Amino acid sequence: MTGQNNPHACLDPVHEMSRRRVLGVLGGLAGFGSLLNPTVSRALEKKEKQVCLIWLDGGISQYESWHPRPGTRFAGPFRSIPTRVPGVHFSELMQHTARIADKISVIRTMETKDPNHSTGVPRIQRGDPIDRGVVYPYLGSAVSKLLGPADPALPPYIWIKPGNGGFIHREAGFLGARHGALALGDGRPPVHIHRPSGISAENDTARNALRKKANERFRANRGAAEIDAYETSYEMAERLMARKEIFDESALSQKDRERYGSHPLGRHILQARQLLEAGVRFIKVNSYHWDTHGDNFNMSQRLVPQVDRPFAALVEDLDERGMLDNVLVVLMSEFGRTPNINSRMGRDHWPDCWSLALAGCGIRQGAIIGETAKDGAWVDGTGYDIGDLFHTIFTVLGIDSKRARYEHKGQKLAIAHDKCKSIREVMS
Amino acid sequence: MRTTSLLALTLSLAIPPLPAGDGQLTGIIDSHIARRSGGSLSPVSDDAEFFRRIHLDLAGIIPTPGETRKFLADASPGKRTALIDRLLGSKDFSVHWTDLLSVELLKRQNLGKVAPGEWQAFLRRCLEQKPHWNRIVHAMIAATGTGPDRAAMKFLGTGGHHQMTRDIAMLFLGMDLECARCHDHPSVKTWGQDNYWGLYAYLSWTKAATNSKDKKEYLVEVLGKNEIEYQSVFESVSDTTGPQLPGLPEKTVPVLAKGEEFSSPAANGLPPVPKFLPRKELAADLTSPKNLAFARNSVNRFWARLMGRGIIHPLDQVHPGNAPSHPQLLEKMAGLFISRDYDLKWLLRSIILSDSYQRSSSRPGKSATPGPESYRQALPRALTPEQLLHSVLRATGNLEKTRKLKADPAKKFDRKGYFTGTHQELPESYEEIRAVFIQTFGQPPGEPETEFTPGLNQSLFLMNDRLLLSWLQPADNNLVQRLGAFKTPAKISENLYLAVLTRLPTEAETTDLGLYLEKNGDRRTAALGELVWALINSTEFRLNH
Repeated sequence: MTGQNNPHACLDPVHEMSRRRVLGVLGGLAGFGSLLNPTVSRALEKKEKQVCLIWLDGGISQYESWHPRPGTRFAGPFRSIPTRVPGVHFSELMQHTARIADKISVIRTMETKDPNHSTGVPRIQRGDPIDRGVVYPYLGSAVSKLLGPADPALPPYIWIKPGNGGFIHREAGFLGARHGALALGDGRPPVHIHRPSGISAENDTARNALRKKANERFRANRGAAEIDAYETSYEMAERLMARKEIFDESALSQKDRERYGSHPLGRHILQARQLLEAGVRFIKVNSYHWDTHGDNFNMSQRLVPQVDRPFAALVEDLDERGMLDNVLVVLMSEFGRTPNINSRMGRDHWPDCWSLALAGCGIRQGAIIGETAKDGAWVDGTGYDIGDLFHTIFTVLGIDSKRARYEHKGQKLAIAHDKCKSIREVMS
Repeated sequence: MRTTSLLALTLSLAIPPLPAGDGQLTGIIDSHIARRSGGSLSPVSDDAEFFRRIHLDLAGIIPTPGETRKFLADASPGKRTALIDRLLGSKDFSVHWTDLLSVELLKRQNLGKVAPGEWQAFLRRCLEQKPHWNRIVHAMIAATGTGPDRAAMKFLGTGGHHQMTRDIAMLFLGMDLECARCHDHPSVKTWGQDNYWGLYAYLSWTKAATNSKDKKEYLVEVLGKNEIEYQSVFESVSDTTGPQLPGLPEKTVPVLAKGEEFSSPAANGLPPVPKFLPRKELAADLTSPKNLAFARNSVNRFWARLMGRGIIHPLDQVHPGNAPSHPQLLEKMAGLFISRDYDLKWLLRSIILSDSYQRSSSRPGKSATPGPESYRQALPRALTPEQLLHSVLRATGNLEKTRKLKADPAKKFDRKGYFTGTHQELPESYEEIRAVFIQTFGQPPGEPETEFTPGLNQSLFLMNDRLLLSWLQPADNNLVQRLGAFKTPAKISENLYLAVLTRLPTEAETTDLGLYLEKNGDRRTAALGELVWALINSTEFRLNH
């Protein structure tokens, strides 16, 4: 087989760590190391850092969420309401989050560069680093590479999304297919995790015993690394099949379902909590259709509560379980929406001044970061670039974002934009 | 001897050097591998191991049990050579090597205007004749879309200059020059930015254009810059280069008087054709015997295909800092390949005839596993998605039936939904079944299939896929049905192992099989399916060893 390590690769600590792990495995499931007893919440016991990224694709309007400006020329029809933090107001569409505003930070002065979706989403989710002629990984693949799985029996990067799932390689960029995401289409795991109904557990064990015996015989006078790699992939498959209850929605209480909401985003954020509790390192939850070029206000009235409820519930639950110290929650889009309301009662793309929210993992509680000018249209002073956010995320996860490097074909590559830095104001 | 040498010398002056003898390279391979082995070599494989390997390598599929029995019973001394020659001339060879070359060259992407079927047919035609690798590569690089080999243009994709530069450097020179687009390679001292831009200069005149008459797209060349200017991201000074291949002199683009630049005028929406066509020049310069790097890279890649590892390894790291395991062998092989006019079948045959290729994959003696670069034992290789599909189908006795399955245009198979569980129906056509296997076992489009890593999703698929399990239900005289007709464990075991693993079972294996059937006497058919399943899922099956 030709899958040898490149002998010309440099010896960055990041790579040493990943190299020592078992031979890579396609589909974001690299590095299931030792055979540990798969007890629930191994990651929690060990206080492993975890991430939940809630991605509102298309761009949530900051005016209808984090940064309402009632009474100004850019205001919509919604009122603003006070939050648990004195003097801080959110849109009335964020009533649940307003209750937990004292547990989160909101950055109101994101200032990025890309007003187009097609390049906006990948560019933002890759942290828009300096162009070095390579395709950078998305945040989930990056964290999965840099920290590995939090629980060796579980895939490090799971992506909950509407529509189809599977093993999604493209987010991994130059890290290679194995650092992609295991995607749960509408929350469902890949179909092959299920043993077909015709095969009993007993017969499954028996047929696997036959398989293992055959492998033992074959390897008796071989012992090549390739054989180990094949066996490892089966061990992992068996372990994940044994843990498939972590994907079982029926284990969730009716009360929680009501608290998070029955729409897909609510169900998926609740499922994210379940996977965080199980010990998955990085979970991304996607919601689409936030691109309100037309009819922004009716759409926001329908959409914003769909994220408000489950986001607040997630932060509350993590806090209650003592998990908020080690779990970072990020709620964001690729940009915000224009102050001006267009002729179709819509708001267009606005990367120049937009908002996002962070919670947990050493993020300040109850902080509003950044001053805006001209009724919220522009940043007053210097805004934060997406590279700053990436440095911040890596830093709170315990990664030295200024010094850690990826190694790719002999090049050492910064993990976040070289000229950006952590947003100290948001870190406690 | 002395008296004839003068005659030989005289003759060699009068006529071109004779092509290398048929067995010459084979002997050279074995002597070089032995000389640098540093330890004992594994014995030559037994007939069964050889028979499986040669079928996977040349025909892309395991043999039938009937073929295996016949070969094992054949006592003639020249049976291996006869088999190699028969397979090299078979239809299966051209079909399988079309798959291999196509995947290597296109990385499973479908770019440009040439239909995949036409491209496959082009490769098939090349392989069915006496394939000369230099001519095939020349045809692909010089292609404009005119003439009978229009499909060769597929290799160039959409004609993107950077894409072509990267692909040609990697595939035909073994140089992964991605980094060198923006700056000299940081760790490979000899890979400069000039290497990238020199190759780019050859390709920069290429442009896609549509003929207004036949409405087809062509990849033509238009008058471009004689010198390409480039800048390192680390320095602010610019440099320029004309067309140049690494290690060869820079090409001077002829300066022609205005009005004299073209050999034919614009026509049918296509631009005028320049007299000097740099991409056509590249096709010739690259594949010229003067460019040893091309021959060296070619033999290294074909060698790796059969031997499991390049003499220079990894394959895209061909540079002085990455020493070949057998430098003299590589040079000799490249030289002989040139003298045989890049005859691909001659090269494959010469390697396959060697003891080094035919060695057993078992460890030599009791020693520790030797380093792979010693080639002291045959190196196991993962089956390609296509090899795996066809071998699973043949092993389970479902090949003929499945190959004939045609898509029902009224039914839409939702492949993504199949993997998510929202689409319950099994794929019903051969094409869809093949696509399901490629999605599971292949690399994503655009990524070279050089690195095989067994994935969790692949194991889950082989364990639990309903389609695959359906092949283990007795039907249409398939393997499970045939095994059901045998009475004794010995008969069942013999037929099972021949069908799936292309060998006879050991006594211990037959004993175990008997015990399993005895224990599961009340569910015999299911138990037979489980025995087949276990071997299909075994490492022995999933490797070409």
